[in-house]
Amino acid sequence: MKKQNLTGTMNPYLKFLIDYSVPIIISLLVAFAIPLSGLSGKYFIKELTIRLSRNSFLILALLIPVMAGMGMNFGIVLGAMAGEIGIIFVTDWGIVGLPSMLLAMLISTPIAILLGYFAGIVLNRAKGREMVTGFMLGFFMNGIYQLVVLYGMGNIIPISNSKILLPRGYGIRNAISLMGIRQVMDKFIPLKIGGILIPIGTILVIASLCIFIVWFKKTKLGQDMRTVGQDNEVARAAGINVEKTRILSIVISTVLACYGQIIFLQNIGTMNTYNSHEQVGVFAIAALLVGGASVAKANIFNVFIGVILFHTMFIVSPRAGKAIIGQAQLGEYFRVFVSYGVIAFSLALYAWRKRVEKENERRKAMAFKRMLLQNNNTAEGDKL
Amino acid sequence: MRKRIIIRITLIVVLILMGISLYTIGKEHKVLIDNKDISMGGLTYNADTAYNVRVDNLEIGLLEKDERKAVKVVGASHKIVVEEIKNKISTGEKHEKKFKLKINENVTINLPAMVNNMDKWIEKIKN
Repeated sequence: MKKQNLTGTMNPYLKFLIDYSVPIIISLLVAFAIPLSGLSGKYFIKELTIRLSRNSFLILALLIPVMAGMGMNFGIVLGAMAGEIGIIFVTDWGIVGLPSMLLAMLISTPIAILLGYFAGIVLNRAKGREMVTGFMLGFFMNGIYQLVVLYGMGNIIPISNSKILLPRGYGIRNAISLMGIRQVMDKFIPLKIGGILIPIGTILVIASLCIFIVWFKKTKLGQDMRTVGQDNEVARAAGINVEKTRILSIVISTVLACYGQIIFLQNIGTMNTYNSHEQVGVFAIAALLVGGASVAKANIFNVFIGVILFHTMFIVSPRAGKAIIGQAQLGEYFRVFVSYGVIAFSLALYAWRKRVEKENERRKAMAFKRMLLQNNNTAEGDKL
Repeated sequence: MRKRIIIRITLIVVLILMGISLYTIGKEHKVLIDNKDISMGGLTYNADTAYNVRVDNLEIGLLEKDERKAVKVVGASHKIVVEEIKNKISTGEKHEKKFKLKINENVTINLPAMVNNMDKWIEKIKN
């Protein structure tokens, strides 16, 4: 019998091209832009090392909800907000150094757990539309965050540091200097190779998270999440509490995103109180997709390939844009365009694959029905 | 069930204690160092010597007469070492003191009082 599966009959090279179309396109773009940018190898490696250590943790936070079949968690913005609240408090209290960062993590963890739990409940009510719901949740929670930070802090929540308070006496300033925690984790174990600072502390933390994720996949909860991700009904029949497992995956992701945002901000050294978290979800998801992940499948390998490709583009695009049309601004527009474009392309590709799979299922069912009918007709013919 | 509650309460207590210790270890304090005349209990100590000051192995620099320097220190326990300087040359005389700071405490250290072992060589700054 002729094989009806569309992707099954597809040339393996073509299948590879379709599966990895996003990383292939971005690799080509990067390969084209690197020579145009004219950046020195040392500068390029330095920038890439900084960005790898700055962003990897946040992107790793996306893996667990993908495992639980919830797609890309746009709700990591909630975790980022929790992390920022922790940072506001430690800055107000005048805590500096690594203890400050750890205390910020400690304070923001219960907030991240609460927000993650709330997000999990909402996403359970929007099964099949988790990503758009998560995206909207980010906007909704941003409103509440602004209300708390802009009106609550200094009014209801005591803030005494005049350096972070607005001159009117309440509300937090638009930009906060984080000199007290700037690069404390990056420089915790100082190492310079060829004049380039290697952030050993942050790399060790990222490596620990990678080990945690690998270990977590093998635990009972990790296996439950994979089962839930494959089929909710099968998981339920196997006695897994699907709703609880999904909530847990979002809680873990939100808490990790909270830590990721703190690591991100300690590297930058300043915090844009009302905007730092806004693009976190989009950029992290775009980076993961650039690394070859899909809405249904993502691994640690995709994270690092994604960070390298996506951030190489960030580094070279302004200079390449300037070389092409004489304006660095083009590079800025280009990278925003690519971020959203990559997400749109990946979602469209995922939807197309789903449609093809459904079509395959339908064709298989039709062929099976036809075969049964043929068998029945032959049997009746034999009787006659 | 009871065991689980005990474990959870213990975890919360441990986390709170961890938070308090992180707060204490990471708290930044302002220390003002004065090389000014000081009168206490009818006695006056004049600031007629320059001092080279180090706080927690951090070089603060030379403090001439009537000069004040501010330094930020982190944590609760600290050490100040002052070295007498005359005509820009060290006399070799060193004075060392250890001090502890409470949470939210900023202090002023008076060098003439410190080298003369007076009780009030360190005073809390009133907010």
